[in-house]
Amino acid sequence: MSTSNLAIFGREFGAEIAKSRRMPEFAIPTLVLPVVFYALFGIMLAKEATAAPYMIATFGVFAALGPSLFGFGVGVATEREEGVFALKSVSPMPAFIYPLAKLAMTFVFVALVVAMIYAIGVFAGGVAFTPAQWAGLFAVHMLSVLPFSLLGLFLGYTAKAQGAIAFANILFFPLAVLGGLWMPIFVFPAFLQTLAQILPSYHLAQMALIAGGMQDSGPFLTHLAITLSWTLALAVAVAWAVRREQD
Amino acid sequence: MPTEPPVCLKAVTKSYGSVRALDGLDLEIAKGGVTALLGPNGAGKTTAIGVMLGRLRPDSGTARIFGLDPRDLAARRRIGVMLQVAKLPRQLTVGEQVRLFAGYYPNPMPPAEALALAGLDGLESRRCAALSGGQQRRLQFAIAAVGRPDLLLLDEPSVGLDLEARRAMWTTIRTLRERGATILLTTHHLEEAEALSDRVVVIDKGRVRASGTVDEMKSIVSGRTIRCLTALDDNALAALPHVRSVAHAGRHAVIVTGNAEATMRALLLADAALADLEIASAGLEEAFDALVAA
Repeated sequence: MSTSNLAIFGREFGAEIAKSRRMPEFAIPTLVLPVVFYALFGIMLAKEATAAPYMIATFGVFAALGPSLFGFGVGVATEREEGVFALKSVSPMPAFIYPLAKLAMTFVFVALVVAMIYAIGVFAGGVAFTPAQWAGLFAVHMLSVLPFSLLGLFLGYTAKAQGAIAFANILFFPLAVLGGLWMPIFVFPAFLQTLAQILPSYHLAQMALIAGGMQDSGPFLTHLAITLSWTLALAVAVAWAVRREQD
Repeated sequence: MPTEPPVCLKAVTKSYGSVRALDGLDLEIAKGGVTALLGPNGAGKTTAIGVMLGRLRPDSGTARIFGLDPRDLAARRRIGVMLQVAKLPRQLTVGEQVRLFAGYYPNPMPPAEALALAGLDGLESRRCAALSGGQQRRLQFAIAAVGRPDLLLLDEPSVGLDLEARRAMWTTIRTLRERGATILLTTHHLEEAEALSDRVVVIDKGRVRASGTVDEMKSIVSGRTIRCLTALDDNALAALPHVRSVAHAGRHAVIVTGNAEATMRALLLADAALADLEIASAGLEEAFDALVAA
């Protein structure tokens, strides 16, 4: 067997895929929730035809949230608690491969969920984006995995398994609802709308709406800058948590 | 670097809050053989292993594995590890798990060989969730051994094993030792240290209290104790061969000796009126108790 980083990464990634395939109690809620919610709110209960494309943009961001916080974050917390993380971290596996394999797994998973949402939008909601708009939407949805996964990873490194589940739930709903992933934030009172604007989920949803041509593209770079700042800040927080692990 | 020792800790300190887990620990493990790291709970055994593996950063002092930083992949490729607490992912099979770890090493055993060595033949396709506690431990042993490491660090390897499985693991450890591996294990089973190790290092309160062969350890501390009624005075008793100390308990003299037979021979020659003789031999357990109480 090859000990190149790529070969080890490939095998770890395969193991992550195998693990989540055999763990339906994780896969089903994180997969079904965004898809069912989209079908329900975007298509079946929608009063206007604009809901279907609008919600593809926002539910695509929502689809990245569950696997990142629960699959990735709680997964790391659980493996830390069970000690397999420690065993891996003293093994000759290069340390960065462990989170990278889980991140890759999260990307694959999210890609699968957004593909299902896209398919429902197209076939049941009559959604028609241009290829460039589809590509833009997919890019924003995949980008969503980064800050959410880093947030999940930070939880994973700092909380115990049960605590990580609790924190993930506490973060999950405000990020989804206040970020405007379920409904536009203008339905909220003014102070909540202000609060929403600090959340990365809000800026990702705005970017997705712009990418889908449903909103003025002017502030795109501002949303991107805020999202990337969140990503960077969370990366620093994770690096701190990883370092703390050795004390 | 054939001369670099497998393990070298120099003046390592590590505190958790106000608790000093390691207090200037110096430990060098030479190539080959089995060394047992013995100590009561809280002695710093697991912290020492953590520092050796680069998992914990020492507050001061240095840790080297084959002369390298323990975090260096080149060092890690020469180590196999069994940690005290590790539950392997429930959803993966025994075979998948062993193959995953085998893949980290440049020259691993075939996974089936590692499984056979650990006594897990036939369980390759079983999910880890379905393993008993003892089987989990054996799987972790297989994972530690699969890379053909030059150094095996086993933290309490036989915890959770029944007597039969424990003896089987001892046999395997001896096999790996004969193949040339250097093995360092922690244990609080003195029987295990006695059965397996070429060398024992006793640590307590984060420092090395004593080290040597099992026999040396037994004699260093309490050696054997001769109690008797004798007409000889203390100076005469202290001059007998191998005597380390002379004390009194009531009318009895209490003589600690490194070699009871030699001391007795001389004592009987010197004092024909010797009476009420009693010789107590110390097991490793007594030696250990004496050491950590000191």
